[in-house]
Amino acid sequence: MRLAVSAAVVAEGLVKDYPRWRGPAQRALHGLSLSIPSGAAFGLIGPNGAGKTSFIKLVLGVSRPTLGTLTVLGGSPEDVSVRARIGYLPERLHLPSARTARSFLSSVASLKRLTVPRAELEALLERVGLGGVTQRIGTYSKGMRQRLGLAAALLGKPELLVLDEPTDGIDPLGRVDVRHLLLEEHRRGATLLLNSHLLSETERVCDRVGVLVHGRLRSEGTLNALKAQARSWRVRFSGAVDAVALGALGFRPEGAHFHFDGPSEVALNQALDQARTSGALLVELSPSGVDLESVLFGSVEGAAA
Amino acid sequence: MSQLFRVMVDLWLETLHRRWVLALFGGTTLVLAVVAVSLQLDAVDGAIAGSRLFGKLLSDDIVSTDRALAPVYRAFVYVSVYVGGLALAASLADVAPELLAPGRIEHLLSLPVARWQLLFGTYFGVVLLGLAGSLYGGVGLLVVLGVKTGEWNWQLLLGVGLGWLGFCVLYAAMVCAAFFVRSAAAATFAALGTLVLGLLASAREAFAQLFDEGLGRTVVQWGLVPFPRLATLATTAADYAAGQRLDVQATLTLCAGSGLFVAALLAVAAYRFERLDF
Repeated sequence: MRLAVSAAVVAEGLVKDYPRWRGPAQRALHGLSLSIPSGAAFGLIGPNGAGKTSFIKLVLGVSRPTLGTLTVLGGSPEDVSVRARIGYLPERLHLPSARTARSFLSSVASLKRLTVPRAELEALLERVGLGGVTQRIGTYSKGMRQRLGLAAALLGKPELLVLDEPTDGIDPLGRVDVRHLLLEEHRRGATLLLNSHLLSETERVCDRVGVLVHGRLRSEGTLNALKAQARSWRVRFSGAVDAVALGALGFRPEGAHFHFDGPSEVALNQALDQARTSGALLVELSPSGVDLESVLFGSVEGAAA
Repeated sequence: MSQLFRVMVDLWLETLHRRWVLALFGGTTLVLAVVAVSLQLDAVDGAIAGSRLFGKLLSDDIVSTDRALAPVYRAFVYVSVYVGGLALAASLADVAPELLAPGRIEHLLSLPVARWQLLFGTYFGVVLLGLAGSLYGGVGLLVVLGVKTGEWNWQLLLGVGLGWLGFCVLYAAMVCAAFFVRSAAAATFAALGTLVLGLLASAREAFAQLFDEGLGRTVVQWGLVPFPRLATLATTAADYAAGQRLDVQATLTLCAGSGLFVAALLAVAAYRFERLDF
């Protein structure tokens, strides 16, 4: 299969195994093929252990694939000239406690081979909400550390921004700021690769989404296309309702109702038949609006089926 | 500016804020200042007629300056090698493990820096910091005694430099260990182990005689061969600082052996680093 040439990231048949002391290697990615177009805001979603972080580490050259090929910005992720064009925010960035934000950013700029004037550094700190902050990093809150990590990722206007949980630890108002900032970067032309557990954030920032489940890409495409594929229903039961048993069938409780996300009416009816067999009585059924959560649940259910 | 140098500068900026490094610097400065203020030497025509510390008479024999100060220079190099080296190794034991800390190594590797540059930048950054510390103490002592006696023993600085090779060996062992077990304790243990084996290697033949002739003795004799003779290195450095002539051939052999040992450990660390996934 020939993938798009104007892609920021092209993965073909990516397999990633982590060797273990005893027993077979743990496979994190099972032949993943994916293309992220240049200029896209791509959200990677999936449950824990789906392989999202493994994929991101491969994109950054931090890990190497066991099998398959990966091209990032037209080159190898291990090529330092490619990495110079990438900005990365890890999930838990380890920062030097004794230094100030300016000193840390100057070091990162130097390692990125950038000459950043002091005024530009100040503007960047202002942009991430750390303008005027002079104390040492050791005194920062989790949110401030995250903002500083974001500033480091934005240094040098990278072509590809890889963000692992960018709003982790940031308060709700701060999240809005970060979202605006990411949208600005997207408008500038940067490609975003976003890994976030906050599906609402992904939905608001990204125009394309990939759903990873157990190391396999279950669905991928524009947000609208994925929503069109996914189906969701709102269900109400009465009688002997066992929420745990219904949960095992794919019904998610939400107040007095349940939601069912599935690929088709057949899947819905099969689940309903099993629920009724267990004693639950169907009293209300209606189609509900599809959001990213439904897309994710639909993909996870599809993988389990 | 090369990336290697940038990694070293980054490391210096970070380590200079460490309490233990600051304490070592402060302690060295304090000792030099106390010696400068409290030591009184009556130097006349290249000889010391009397010496007082805190006003208390140490000696009133008339001894030539170089003879009188030789034990001081010798002691300084021994202290610099063993006490200074171990103190610096302990205070910087977590530098390499922290380099590999989750959240940091991923970030560093996402920057346009090659793995070997991170490894060698960290190693040379730390050992150059050690050299700067040793020379700071050495130059301080040279100036204090030089001003008081009019005799300037430049051999002291070369002696300090020779002794610093011992720290290079210990830190190579620490870096190498950190790439196998990411722990400051493991790195410190590796340094102590290398020091002990390096001391034993200096007296390899005599030490081997403690074992019965046969396999045990052969294993000891050959097992210690790869380790640099650290005690011999320290003694050579101390003797030279104290004004003795240097056996150039033997010293070059010692330095080459130490260099080879360091190169081998760094090669193992680089091999391991290149194959590590984070």
